[in-house]
Amino acid sequence: MSDAARLRQVWMIARLQLMRVFFSKRSFWVYLLALFPAVIFLGHGVEVKWKRERWGAQKTSEAALQSIRRGDSDEEVLRKAGTPVTDFRSESFRRHRAHMDEGGGSEPERRYMMFFDGANRWDLRFENGILQNKRSRPLNDFDDDRQIYAGVFQYFYLRLAIFFGCLGIFMNLFRGEMLDKTLHYWFLIPVRREVLLAGKYLAGLMASVLIFGMGAVLSFVLMLWPQDAAQLSAFWQAEGAAHLFWYAAAAGLACAGYGSVFLASGLLLRNPIIPAVVILAWESINGILPTLLQKLSVLYYVQALCPTPPPVDANAPLLVRLLSAPAEPPPAAVSVLGVVAVTAVVLWLSARAVRRLEINYGVE
Amino acid sequence: MAVYRRGYRRYQGRLTGEWERLMVLPRFAWEGLLQQRLIAILFVLALFWPVGCALFIYLSHHLDLLQGFGGAAGNFFQVNGEFFFVFMNVQSFAAIILSAFAGPSLIAPDLANGALPLYFSRPLTRTTYVLSRMLVLVGVLSPVTWIPGLVLFAMQSGMAGWGWFAENYRFGLAVVGGFFLWILLVSLLAMACSAYVRWRVVAGALVLGLFFILGGAAELANAVLRVDWASALNPARSMEQVWRAMLGLRPLPGPDAWQCAVCLGVMVAVLAVVLSRKLRPVEVVS
Repeated sequence: MSDAARLRQVWMIARLQLMRVFFSKRSFWVYLLALFPAVIFLGHGVEVKWKRERWGAQKTSEAALQSIRRGDSDEEVLRKAGTPVTDFRSESFRRHRAHMDEGGGSEPERRYMMFFDGANRWDLRFENGILQNKRSRPLNDFDDDRQIYAGVFQYFYLRLAIFFGCLGIFMNLFRGEMLDKTLHYWFLIPVRREVLLAGKYLAGLMASVLIFGMGAVLSFVLMLWPQDAAQLSAFWQAEGAAHLFWYAAAAGLACAGYGSVFLASGLLLRNPIIPAVVILAWESINGILPTLLQKLSVLYYVQALCPTPPPVDANAPLLVRLLSAPAEPPPAAVSVLGVVAVTAVVLWLSARAVRRLEINYGVE
Repeated sequence: MAVYRRGYRRYQGRLTGEWERLMVLPRFAWEGLLQQRLIAILFVLALFWPVGCALFIYLSHHLDLLQGFGGAAGNFFQVNGEFFFVFMNVQSFAAIILSAFAGPSLIAPDLANGALPLYFSRPLTRTTYVLSRMLVLVGVLSPVTWIPGLVLFAMQSGMAGWGWFAENYRFGLAVVGGFFLWILLVSLLAMACSAYVRWRVVAGALVLGLFFILGGAAELANAVLRVDWASALNPARSMEQVWRAMLGLRPLPGPDAWQCAVCLGVMVAVLAVVLSRKLRPVEVVS
């Protein structure tokens, strides 16, 4: 049989399998995992837009807010800056009043005001009517948001969402058929088992790349949505498209790498929890392993493709921070080739395994 | 005697008590579980940390053995609330792994093979069925959670004396109470996953995945929305907050112990609803 005919068989199997991967009831949670970050970024965007609109109606000029000094009285501040967006006296103030009425001690009277100058919020804290603390921060910080996206992508998306999503999709390709007692139908069709494996892997890969790639792109776009138009335009002209491409590419390569590993696990092992626990543990401790061992993971190559390094977890235990010594990230070409090579080797091993696979539904 | 002559005769033997019946399912299930090599290995692995903690307590009372380390050893080897909190944290992880392997085999096979009508045709209600299945997990998880915790507490009390016990008896109560809450949550989650997906292997992965994914999702929501209330959606983090309150430790930033307890209560209620919807003695096949 010619190679072209084999490729047609692969495509036919992939098409049949794609329907099951995309529209099966069991795939529902994969969509949830892929779209969860996008939903949260959407929520953040809506919140920022809503605040900007609502607070914008009571905008105070930046010059007026700059003129406020520590030690000013609350009346002076109100005279200079006008009506604040938020103005409240804390619970302790009410307690203080009740306490003073009873002739007690002298807990300070606290007041909080918030002003908005169109871009920044200004938080003012008063004690006994005197300004003690003035702090301004942008309503929405683009750099901060990009850093958070990098953290979300590398800590949640790559390590959890794509990991467990691929576990579900690729394990289902053979182990799911085994549990459903339907694998023998596939084995009865006149195609080589390697062709069947390739078709199923292609279907899983297409589905996972599409679902998780789109999820990454959507959450990136939603992260950009509430940003300032001028900043956004500068970002798109400079590096925006490259960032978007590399995040999508990293998601796709992670699907290819994890997919091949879980497909092989589904063929070789009856219980998917064992490889899941082992690989999850291996990928989790990746940062504290010696440099050579760090290179034996999918995450090492995929993370290297991400345009922004992940933020360092300040809450991590001291021991972990001390041991943490991330290896020098490889160049992009090496990363891509690394994942492709790992995938090719694992698929070759899987092809050998599927050739010897015997169906025994009784033990499932 | 010919078969047709065998008329109906009521069973004359001793009837088992209601509580005795509850123990029938766990008895067989424990036997089956302990025959699994993987469960036995995990069981042994889960006991390494308690042994290490026991050594820690022993050393904290024999600092003369560590004279070479100077005064720093005395500061390090302290058995207090933080010690029990770290112990509980590590063992709770062991409990998740054990429940991911042991839990799904409890209900999924009964559902997949249509065995529920057989159970419910006997004097077992849905509640007693769930309770007896939960007892299996309580039996499996107790030896790696509250029992070693209580042993450690007793060991420390014995070595430190009555004064320490009178001052810190709440640690013992927190270890037992905290772990029982954890076992309840983990068992219900394992059983709900098992009932929901019906595939034993998939249910195990789901148990594991849910704990990690909920943790990650809570952190994600906190980071993107610049809030800290989402920590309450992480069952492990919520339970940690409750444990810290029980141990009298400084709370972690974020929702307080009561808010976390309410969140955990909602999670338990949702899992109970899933179980009650999935466990039906009849099934309509379309």
